[in-house]
Parts: sequence; C-alpha cells; structure tokens
Amino acid sequence: MIISLTVNGEVRDVAVEPHYLLSDVLRDRLDLTATHVGCEQGICGACTVLVDGQSARACLLFAVQMEGHAVTTLEGGAPSAELRALRAAFHTHHAQQCGFCTPGILMTFAAYLRDHPDCDEAGVRAVLGGNLCRCTGYGPIVRAIMAASAALREVADV
Amino acid sequence: MSEREAYVGQPRPRREDHRLLAGLARYVDDIKVAGALHAAFLRSPHGHARIVSIDVTAALELPGVVTVVTGEDLAEDVTDLTVAPPIEGLRPTSMPVMPVDRVRFQGDLVACVVAADRYVAEEAMERIVVEYAELPAVSDMFAALRDDSVLVDEALGTNLVARRVHRAGDPEARLAAAPRVIEAEFHQQRQTHAPIETRGCIAQWDPGREHLTLVIGSQVPHPLRTQIVRRLGLRDSQVSVSSPDVGGSFGQKIALYREELAICALARRLGRPVRWKEDRMENLLAACHAREQWCRTRAAVDDTGRILGLTLEMVEDFGAYCFYPANYISEVVGIILTGQYGIADYGYEIRVALTNKCGVGPMRAPMAMASWVMEGTLDVIARRLGLDPAEVRRRNMLADQALPYAMPGGETLLDVNCAETMETALDEIGYAAHRPHDDGRYLYGLGLCNVVESTTYGSRFYKNSGIGGSGHEAARIIVEPDGTVSASVGMAAAGQGYETTFAQVVADGVGVRPDDVAVTLGHSDTSPYGMGSRGGRGATAGGGALYLCAAEVRAHLLRLAAHRLGLNATDGLGLRDGRIVWVRAGGSEETGLDVADLARTAYFDPLALPEGMRPGLEFYRTYDPPPMTFSNSTHACRVRIARETGRLEILDYLVVENCGTVINPLVVHGQQAGAVAMGLSGTLLENVVYDQAGRNLSATFADYTIATVADIPAIRIIARATPSSRTPLGLKGMAEGGVMGAIGAVANAVNDALSVVGAQVTCLPLTPMRLHAAIHDGIGRAAQGQEG
Ligand code: FES
Ligand code: FES
Repeated sequence: MIISLTVNGEVRDVAVEPHYLLSDVLRDRLDLTATHVGCEQGICGACTVLVDGQSARACLLFAVQMEGHAVTTLEGGAPSAELRALRAAFHTHHAQQCGFCTPGILMTFAAYLRDHPDCDEAGVRAVLGGNLCRCTGYGPIVRAIMAASAALREVADV
Repeated sequence: MSEREAYVGQPRPRREDHRLLAGLARYVDDIKVAGALHAAFLRSPHGHARIVSIDVTAALELPGVVTVVTGEDLAEDVTDLTVAPPIEGLRPTSMPVMPVDRVRFQGDLVACVVAADRYVAEEAMERIVVEYAELPAVSDMFAALRDDSVLVDEALGTNLVARRVHRAGDPEARLAAAPRVIEAEFHQQRQTHAPIETRGCIAQWDPGREHLTLVIGSQVPHPLRTQIVRRLGLRDSQVSVSSPDVGGSFGQKIALYREELAICALARRLGRPVRWKEDRMENLLAACHAREQWCRTRAAVDDTGRILGLTLEMVEDFGAYCFYPANYISEVVGIILTGQYGIADYGYEIRVALTNKCGVGPMRAPMAMASWVMEGTLDVIARRLGLDPAEVRRRNMLADQALPYAMPGGETLLDVNCAETMETALDEIGYAAHRPHDDGRYLYGLGLCNVVESTTYGSRFYKNSGIGGSGHEAARIIVEPDGTVSASVGMAAAGQGYETTFAQVVADGVGVRPDDVAVTLGHSDTSPYGMGSRGGRGATAGGGALYLCAAEVRAHLLRLAAHRLGLNATDGLGLRDGRIVWVRAGGSEETGLDVADLARTAYFDPLALPEGMRPGLEFYRTYDPPPMTFSNSTHACRVRIARETGRLEILDYLVVENCGTVINPLVVHGQQAGAVAMGLSGTLLENVVYDQAGRNLSATFADYTIATVADIPAIRIIARATPSSRTPLGLKGMAEGGVMGAIGAVANAVNDALSVVGAQVTCLPLTPMRLHAAIHDGIGRAAQGQEG
C-alpha cells in the first residue's frame, strides 16, 4: 500500500506493507539513517523522532500509522533553535562518545526544551531516563542539556 | 625530541562530533550497497540438543528467498576455527562456522536465510522446520567441572578447558605457618557488553578481481582480516576490512564471529552482496558474554594485618565455544591481583569451564575482578582483626622506593603513585570522620578500592604469558603535496575520539596544527597492519607509534628545510604550527618556509632536494611498547542502604587517578567517567540469567537492565598523574580502570554498611533484593546469637 506522510517538511508517498516499522521505513526506504535502532523494543530511545512535534519512538510505530502525519528526524530541514543549542552544547561538553544514542537524545530534548524553557535538572534527568547510553555515564549529557537550556534562555532574554 | 608539547594536553572538543551530531555518521547499517541481500539466522531454542533434521523447503518457496544454508552446507566453504596456542594446561578446541549436528547453547546457529529484504528473510526463517533431540544441559560452571557432568564439547572429554597454576615463593608454607589464615570469596555474575549498536556487517565478493570487502564495526580490522583469510582459504591481498563509525563495542567487536564469517562465505558463494544486522535479542542472547568468575583468596596474615602469603583460586565460566584461548581473561586477573601490595609468596590456580551458555570474551576491563578481590580481601582482613581498612592497606602497600617492583604474578610494576592517590582519596571522601552506622532507616558505609590498571600489553607480555600474538602497533604518516599531514594507524575507534587525540599527538610530533592533520582509521587497505584497539592500548601503542613516526617526519622536513635555506645542518631550526622557524631563546623567528613549500619541493621539484634524499614524503614506523604499562587510581564512595527495601544509594563517588600523560583531558575524563558508569552498572544491575536447562532469561533490555541516568551518581575525578618513564610522551592508557575500581569501591562500601548488622555479600549484582535479604539474615543471625 502507498501512504502519504510529511517527512522533514516534504510530503512523501511511500510503498509499505502494514507491518513495516516507521524506523525501518525512514532508514531503508527514505535513506534517513540518523534515526538509529538499538533495540526495536521501545527501551533504548535511540530511534526517537518527532511526530507532529512530539517525541515518539519510531520502532514502536508502524509506518502506516503515519498517514497524514508529520515526522521530523535529526536530518530534518532547518534545525530548530533548540536543536542548534543542543548540538553546540553536546560538542563543548563531550556528551557523545560513539554517538549511537545521540540522535534519539537530541530529538527527545529538542521537543522537551521547546516545551519546558525553564526546565530544571531533575526534570531533564527524569526524561533522559528513557534513553540508554552505554558510553558516557550520562553526566556530560545532563550538563550539555542544562547548558543548552541556559543558552536558549539567554537568547530569549535579549 | 620535540621542542614543546603544544597540543598534547589541551581539552579540545572532538572533531568526530560534527558528523555524529548532524546525523551524518555512517554506522554499518547506514551504508547502502546496491543489490545487497539480507541474511537472518535461525537459532536454537534449546540449551543443548542434537539436530535430527532441518527441512528448508517451505522457506525456499517464499518469494524473495535466495538461499537457505545449514552448517553442513557451509562446511565446504569454510575451515574450522581451531584455538590451540601452546599453553600448558589449555586444551585445544575447534568449531565449525555453524554447528552441523549439535547445538550447544540457546541462540546457537542452526541455519541462515538469505533473501531480498530483512522482512522476507525473517518470515522465511519461521518456515524452517527443525527436529531437535533435546539433551541435558549444564548451565552452572561448578556443576560442569564435576566428573559426572554433561559434556559441552564431546571432543574434549571434559569441561575443564583450561587449568593454570602459578607459584612465586612458597605461599602454601606461609599459609601453614601463619598466625592466621583469612579466607574471602567473591562471585561476579555473567554480563554482556550491550553496545547500543548491535553487530552487523556487509560482505561483497567481486568475482572478477576475486576480492572480498567486508564492512563491519570492528576494533581490529587487520587481525580480523587475518582470521577471514585463514578461514576462507584466501590470501591477505584478497580481503579488505573496513570499519566505519562504530556504535560502541567494549570488547564485543574484536573476534571474528561465526555469523560474520558465514556472511562472507555466502557473499562469495552467491557472488552478490549480503548484509546482516543483528537484533537486540540476538545480541543479548548470542553475541558474546563476559565476566562470570568466582574467586577465593586465602591470606596468611600476622596480627597487624600484614599479608605474609596469598593464594587465589579462580573458576571462570567460558560458555559453549572458545573464540579466545580460555585462559586469556582469567590469567590476567591472576597476574595482576597483588597490584600495589608487596607480597612475595603468592600463587594462583585457575580453572575454566565450558557450559551450555553463550561463549565469552573480553569486556572493558576483562581483569576487572582483580581489584575487587584484592581490596575485598584486605577489607575482610581488617574486619576480622578489628583493624582500620586504610591502615591495613598502608601496611601492605609498596613504598615508592620499592619501584620498579617484580610482582609475584610476573610483571614489573612501575611509574605508579599508589600511596598518593589513596591518601588524596581518603581526604576527599572524609574517611577520617567515617564509621559504618545505622540510623534506623539506613545503613551507611564507605568503600575504598585501590586499582592497578594494566594497560597496553606489548609483545613481551604476550610471549611471557604464553597467550600468543603481537603487541606492536604501526603508524603511517604522509605529508601530502599540499602540506596536509595524513596520519593513520592500525586501530579502529568505537567512540574513543582517536581522530581528535591522534591529531594532537601528530601535530606535536611533526610541529603542525591539529587542523592540518587528517587521521584515517579503520580500513585494512589504507591503514598499516596493526593489532587494533583493545586492552587500553590506544594512547600508548597507537599514540606512541604515531608520535615516533611524526618525529621522523619532523627530522626529514627539517633536513629538507636546511637545504632550502642553504644550510649544512638543521641546528637552530624548528617546526612550529607548520612553519619553519629559527628557534631563539624566548621565542622564534620566521624563516619564510612552511610545510607546504617543502612538500611542493618533495613531490614536484625533486632535483631541488638535498643529495641522497628521495622524492615524496611517506613515512612508516612500528612501535612495540613495554610489556605492560600501569595506571593506578583509588576509588572511594559512600553509600547508604535502606533497611526496609534494600535500596542502595551512592552518596558520593570519587576517583583519584594517575593515568600518565593526558593527551586530551576532555576525552580522558569522558573515558574515565564512562568506565566507572559501566562498572557501576555491572555491580548494581546487569545480570545474564540462565535456568538449569540452559534457557536464557535475560535476552531483552527489559530483563537485562543496564544503567540509566537515574543509576549513575555524580563522579568526581581528581587527576594525580605521573608520566610513564618508558613510553613516548609518558603515555600509559586508561579507560578500563574505572570499571575495576567501581566494582570494588561499591562492593566494599556495601559490606562496610552491612557490617553494622553482621552481614556480608559476596555475589554481584547488588540488587535491592540481595541486599534486603542480607540485612535481614544478618539481623536474624544476630538475634538468634543473642537468644542462644
Ligand atoms: S530502537 Fe526504538 S527504543 Fe530502542
Ligand atoms: S555515546 Fe555511545 S551509546 Fe551514548
């Protein structure tokens, strides 16, 4: 069957079977490989994308459910202010080693920082609990997210 | 050698980050190969069974299926893996690429489907009909070592695949004569690496050139190529191994596994590209496990807590197949156990058992248990004798003047500052004020763990220990015609940031800016043959080889510059940030020449070169580091355990670390914190569980839990570095010690807290359930004691 969905701002028609996962369709049919698959069980968070602006696990969605919806991946068009701030802070704070978990974390927090401009560390930790990272021990990731949040507030204050 | 280290030591953010953060990294599964077929493996549901028959007819009928092969089919194309180094006490083992008539663990390979896409391959797999005759399984290593046990590998006639004994001095005599003998036990549970990127590969056979290209996340592209070549009956020149970005490895992506070899064989057989991507369940079930070890120490001590002699008895569960010599991992525990303590009379006996479980391999700090066992033993001695644990450590610790020290395990300890790291840690953690106590809700404890981390492993180590293999590394540096410096080494990164740190090393070695250094890694054709990345050897072996090679580049460029400037000698000339300068007291003066000018001469105007200098600027240099380098550290933590629930909280965690010269503090800090986190995760949570029939009960991330952000406390890291006296730049290596220290520090803190109620734990992981039971057993025993 052919479904029509918006991916990174472009309307795409894709031929899929009903059991195809969104993560596979993004990666294998649309060549958007920034979305990583670490477990296919909804646990690691590496596959997190935005669906209509909200973070969602692409391995837990069937592609057919996306008919008429808008999906944003890390590659997605012009990056939001949140994503730009996160990228800069992740680089400065060495918040990725192998980088495999990183796209999912960036997408999760691009949405979270947008919706929680005044977030505190406890809130960030609670949300980050949904993403597994085997390399960093999480400390630098938390520091980077807090730094990105502060940087965004500074810009907003100006 | 170099005039100054300008870039080594700088906390430079990594150059790798851009592609990772932009979503432009290329992990194996991101790489498209036109026309590639997809493979899926059918695996045994049983822990041990005979394969009676395999019927693939229905699978082959599914549209899109290209072929289905079994072990018998592939046996024609691939020779067996024989692991038989000449090591006393090690029995040779052999395995085919896929089992032919017997599966030895749940997840063992049965058949492989190749189809047009992965969905079809998986559907076809379900149509394969296998008749098994189930056999009794042995999933416990102690049971496996009993005479009446089921045999995992019938050809061996025993499950005791390795037994190793080592003696220095006469520990038994010391034990017999000692005023006291104190015994302690330690049991570390089975774990697995669980990189967030699972395994996978793409194999392509070019029938015209008769050439195989394997794209695979690997720490060791060249040794992997050697394995492939041997198993497939090819020549080195016929195989290229390319390791792109790797999503974590931790020791898992070293061996040539059977799946990957089968994919290579199938690509050659079919003449078409074949790819495979492991799913998480396969990764947890059947990739590679680690760490399942039991130890018992017996220490002869005097009343002051001084150890007069020590023996270690160790049993390791190696699973069903040997991808490594079976003594390889536990032997290092035996060798380094005594660490920074002066113990002349020491012996170990190691027994390694085969069981019906997944095969094991090295996992970040394969020798991790050593620190817990030694430091846990010291704590038990302190408790039995009513002494202060730090004081017992002081009494046994080697004085700085005793270094270099011939350790009773056979290696030479040097360049460590054990007393300094321990005393600093004691101050920082507030040791003096601490007493284990109980406030009615929580039990409070403090744990110490001194770590001697063996790193690097030069060729001499392999020779001495009989493990076999080389510990050298190779570097190649090309100054390109435009003056760019291209550097490469035989290592492949899996998140360590080599592209950044090696550029810093080469920049200092040559005298250019890091931005002018391109680092290429991970391809067997473009990198010189090296031993790859493992065992904390990245900095010393890889960085060392590059630095020495870079120094040759510098010397060559300066000779060329001198000639261009009309000089007979290079005296007074230097290279700074790519410019040839006159080195003056208090500064430097430009000569007007730079590396690009010299490169132009070398490539395009060879007649302007000095007499005897050949055109071009390519350099190759190997380096064999010392047998071992040692980093050391002290980990200290304070914990509390809730009496009601057994829940453990880490209130403060710190590491005082001496890892030699630091190339990039940002990267090193990341590695250290990551290692501690992995150690904590293993100590607190992770557990591969098998039932008696050999069924794996922990093959999802819901069951095999690894640490989330909620489980990892803030980790304070305090640097107290002393450079190595025997390596270029004083490099030593690190990145494993954190695992070693975390296990020991937390387990010791827990036992300190539990001592309040007279309880102890000797098994990991330290789950709330285990701690709760220990607390209440302790309380119960104490109550009975009072009544009785
Ligand atoms: S791949 Fe989707 S949560 Fe792990
Ligand atoms: S950086 Fe490797 S998993 Fe997070």
